[in-house]
Amino acid sequence: MSETEKRVNLTINGKPITAPASLSVIQALWHAGYPRVKSIGCLQGVCGSCRVMVRRADSHEVTMELGCQLLVAEGMHVSFLVFPNPTHHTYELTGISNSWEVQARFHQIFPEADHCRHCGGCDVSCPKGIEVERGVELAAKGRFSEAGDLFIECVMCDLCMTACPENISPNHVGLFARRVTAYFHIRPSNLINRLETLRKGDLQVEI
Amino acid sequence: MTQGISYSDALAAYAPCELREPAVDDITTEALLRAFHPDHIAGSMTQLRIGANAGDTCHTELAQLLQSDGRIDEADLAGAETLETDVLVIGGGGAGCAAALTAVKCGARVMLATKLRVGDSNTVMAEGGIQASVEKGDTPQMHFEDTIRGGHHHVDRPLAAQMVMDGPDVVRWLIQQGMQFDVDKYGDLLTRRAGGTSAARVVYFRDYTGLEMMRVLREAVRNSNIDVLDYSPTVELLSNEHGHCAGAVISSLKSCSYTLVKAKAVVLATGGIGRMHLNGFPTSNHFGATGDGLVLAYRLGARLCDLDSFQYHPSGLAYPQHLAGTLITEGVRSAGAYLLNAHGERFVDELMPRDHVAAAIIRECREGRGICVNDDSVGVWLDTPGLEMRDPGILQARFPKLLQLGRKAQVDLAQKPMLIYPTLHYQNGGVVIDVHGRSTVPGLYCIGEVTGGIHGKNRLMGNSLLEIISFGRRAGRHAAEHAHDRPHTKISIEHLSDLRRALTLAGLPMNQEGPLLFPKYAKFDSDSDYDGLHRSRKE
Amino acid sequence: MSALNQVLLHPQQRVGADFAAWRAAGGGEGLRAALGATPAQLIEMIRDAGLRGLGGSGYPAYRKWESLAAQRASGDRYLIVNGNEDEPGTFKDRILLAETPHQVIEGAAICAVACDINHIVFYINPDQDAALASMRDAVVQWQDSDLYTALAEHLRRPVELRVMASSGHYIGGEETAAIESVEGKFPFPRRKPPYPAEAGVHGLPTLVNNTETLANVPHIMRNGVAWYRGLGRGAAAGTKIYCLSGDVLRPGAYELPMGTPLQELIFEHGGGMLVGMKLKAIFTGGPSNTILTPADLDVPLDFDSVAERRSALGTGAMIVVSEGTGIVKRVTEYVNFFADNSCGQCPACKTGTYYISRLLSRIDTGHGSRSDLDTLVSLSQLLPGAGRCHLLDGAVKVLDSSLYHFGSEYEKAIAPRNNR
Repeated sequence: MSETEKRVNLTINGKPITAPASLSVIQALWHAGYPRVKSIGCLQGVCGSCRVMVRRADSHEVTMELGCQLLVAEGMHVSFLVFPNPTHHTYELTGISNSWEVQARFHQIFPEADHCRHCGGCDVSCPKGIEVERGVELAAKGRFSEAGDLFIECVMCDLCMTACPENISPNHVGLFARRVTAYFHIRPSNLINRLETLRKGDLQVEI
Repeated sequence: MTQGISYSDALAAYAPCELREPAVDDITTEALLRAFHPDHIAGSMTQLRIGANAGDTCHTELAQLLQSDGRIDEADLAGAETLETDVLVIGGGGAGCAAALTAVKCGARVMLATKLRVGDSNTVMAEGGIQASVEKGDTPQMHFEDTIRGGHHHVDRPLAAQMVMDGPDVVRWLIQQGMQFDVDKYGDLLTRRAGGTSAARVVYFRDYTGLEMMRVLREAVRNSNIDVLDYSPTVELLSNEHGHCAGAVISSLKSCSYTLVKAKAVVLATGGIGRMHLNGFPTSNHFGATGDGLVLAYRLGARLCDLDSFQYHPSGLAYPQHLAGTLITEGVRSAGAYLLNAHGERFVDELMPRDHVAAAIIRECREGRGICVNDDSVGVWLDTPGLEMRDPGILQARFPKLLQLGRKAQVDLAQKPMLIYPTLHYQNGGVVIDVHGRSTVPGLYCIGEVTGGIHGKNRLMGNSLLEIISFGRRAGRHAAEHAHDRPHTKISIEHLSDLRRALTLAGLPMNQEGPLLFPKYAKFDSDSDYDGLHRSRKE
Repeated sequence: MSALNQVLLHPQQRVGADFAAWRAAGGGEGLRAALGATPAQLIEMIRDAGLRGLGGSGYPAYRKWESLAAQRASGDRYLIVNGNEDEPGTFKDRILLAETPHQVIEGAAICAVACDINHIVFYINPDQDAALASMRDAVVQWQDSDLYTALAEHLRRPVELRVMASSGHYIGGEETAAIESVEGKFPFPRRKPPYPAEAGVHGLPTLVNNTETLANVPHIMRNGVAWYRGLGRGAAAGTKIYCLSGDVLRPGAYELPMGTPLQELIFEHGGGMLVGMKLKAIFTGGPSNTILTPADLDVPLDFDSVAERRSALGTGAMIVVSEGTGIVKRVTEYVNFFADNSCGQCPACKTGTYYISRLLSRIDTGHGSRSDLDTLVSLSQLLPGAGRCHLLDGAVKVLDSSLYHFGSEYEKAIAPRNNR
């Protein structure tokens, strides 16, 4: 397999770089000797830290991707997006007294969720291919379990947040939907039985 | 690299098939480990010369770091701002968040400093699940015995006992934070078996257990009264006149300046050492896993243990190169996937403890039965196509993250096996603690991977996610409750002078600075963006 | 000194919705003249006059007319008179709409004759109450007038004259977004092609022209091509309404010959800098904000001459800033404007402008690093052309222009941190 020998030329953060074609853009940056500390995370595509904007050779399109998962290519132009993006939405699950109130509270916490203008920017931005816009719509209709399921693969990279012209914070909407589903509806009898036995002191560990 | 069969030849010879002969058991675990486990590589260990563990065996590269010079001097702290809090948590992974959330709930003022962002940790990458004995045929005692056996009887038994007893309540607490678990149609928790265990005990959410846990805990922290300092690596702990821990020196990557945080209790939750790439191994670890906590605690006099024991996870991706080291969950093997050598033969019971399986893989490769790509990579097959044949649809239903990895590597996992090789995964040893997470230094708590004892010489799948929450909550509660009785004291970095004296007297070099903070290849120390944080007196 | 307010803003034109006063000053003669010519002749006149798109593009006006006239379909056709005007420093269309509504309507009517259009929509920024009221008033008068009857008879079908308030989004001024808006939808710019001439409002042939562009048309018809060309200075034709603002003595809208030097606009018409202030830079307004410097004071303010200075005339807005004004701060404000107004369809635009604005404010507040500046430069190279409309390119242009002319200010702003 001689393709590992192949080298490509690309631009990362404005710096011209030549690197083996088998590297990710982060590896290529390090390979070329440039320091890079911020916006590096798990290096496995699950922490959402290494967001990059990418323009491939001969393309007008600029896409959002995760740098650790992105293989270098000839003529590629890459720019790292480094800031965390704090959302302005806050809530505590304990502040929702019961599951009948979730929907009303949701609209108090995320008033913008109703304002979706259906531009589709969040869907295009998501490096995980999540149907973000639909998730927001479902959550706004109170279908939290269904909405939350759409966000299973969400790594909270915040790209849908910066893409949203209505400041909805779709990823936090998705996470809210997931959390209320667990908080109010996951009641496993095997776990509850075991907790009860433990409470009675019937199971002890002999060291 | 040892010669093996070439990738294309091996792939041509591979045909998916449903059942294969089990491996012949021809070697004891002990003999296998001694001959093939990386912990036994000749010359990789040394004896520590200074500190609480002087005379103990330690991995050479770790020893260099534990016996390194500090990153700062008194002069660096001139004009630094001083903040005060009750509990300072250092580390923003699962353990740190659990401790911070619990401490704040107990009424303490809590500050959480994290090197990068909250959630940037190994927790987020954990896939397999959490061990908790919830099934009828299972008991905490069985969980305990499995943990002891998995750790080669080298386990701190009271800690392990505490952890297994906490298991079910940890799962409840996580659900109360809003974490989902996979359940059956009646709503019961689904369980799967971890390698080296006697019962199906791992509860999980797909192969995203850590991601689901971390995003929920991060959101909970964000919505609490915890003061978060992100992009803020801790470079030193602060000591008081009695040598107790009294806070920390925190650097900011955003403002390139130092802050002193006075705290009545410090909870160190900095994680492991994977990014030190011991013995030149790839790692499954997060970018920030550079052993900072070990160095900080050791300098303050904390006792450590098992510094010669590391876990190499059997199934790290070996190829393609840009994804090398990426973890493939043990869940795939516990679901029944085989490991095959270049000849298509099983060579180990896939559900043996991790160190055994890893050593067996290394043996295949070293003895010429591995699969080679160029001269860069060698490995064995993870037979996902066979698993899919026996249990159609299982990959899609249970391992979406793995399938996505396959797509990234351009491998259809239902058709083609993946090449795997052990990857540096976990630091078995670490700071010695008690059941409240207290280290031997008053005022200093340690939790999570930075600690040792709970897993002995080898950790079982699912016990780390359990440990971080179990001990995170314990330490958070204890630190908060006892913070009330402790006044703030005088703070200094006087212990650094002691360190320098000891280094000089032991004739050790002072040319390396610790903690490492970032892997060497990230070139933090030569990054002009952070000039303000680099010590000027060093050349 | 060039003559001021000769045509569009001539006092005789500024009679508001008073139809009789406007007619008395020759209003309607342009339309009468146009009714006697063939569409081809009208378009030829527009071409020969050298009329440009005055909403900022500077694109020869006749080309869009020509493509519309070339459409074979015999059904409905739309003209959108674009008065959405919303960018910083631009305030000319609102004057034309409020003070000279009949002039604008007449221009639109002539355009309808040339392109066989039967729906005319006056698309006006909802914040411009005076413009909306005046246009509504004027349209009612038109519908009862001999001019309207003559127009409808000529086109052999009734002509709809509709005044509508736009949604108020800046992006609604983009021509395809305006079309969406007229259809009653959110003003998302569309991908081109198809161009509006082929498929615009409800898929019908549509022409979108700026208010000022159309206001010129009656005068060209009435006074001829040569007269119009003669109004400009040098090679430029006609007049231009320059919107002068910022640190000058007399800010305001000045209609001057196209090609009037910048120096004359600022120092003669505008009365020069505010007392004690020294000129530092001029931001030209419109879809592509760029910067002119004191070295460019001699530039004739026409599309081609300004383009030669690595800048753009845009809408003709000239925002004058003095020494002491932070260029980085100003650019941050502009980019924020774009970031807030990005419609969301193209993440490269929404997220791109967001990041540029974050980087700029870090640098402006003294928290920026060398790599922040490098990232800014990198984004300015990566982003252009990635959006479906001009908004993203506009944001990048103001950044790029400021890096080119005032790179040293950026360097100075990141210095404190680097020297720490």
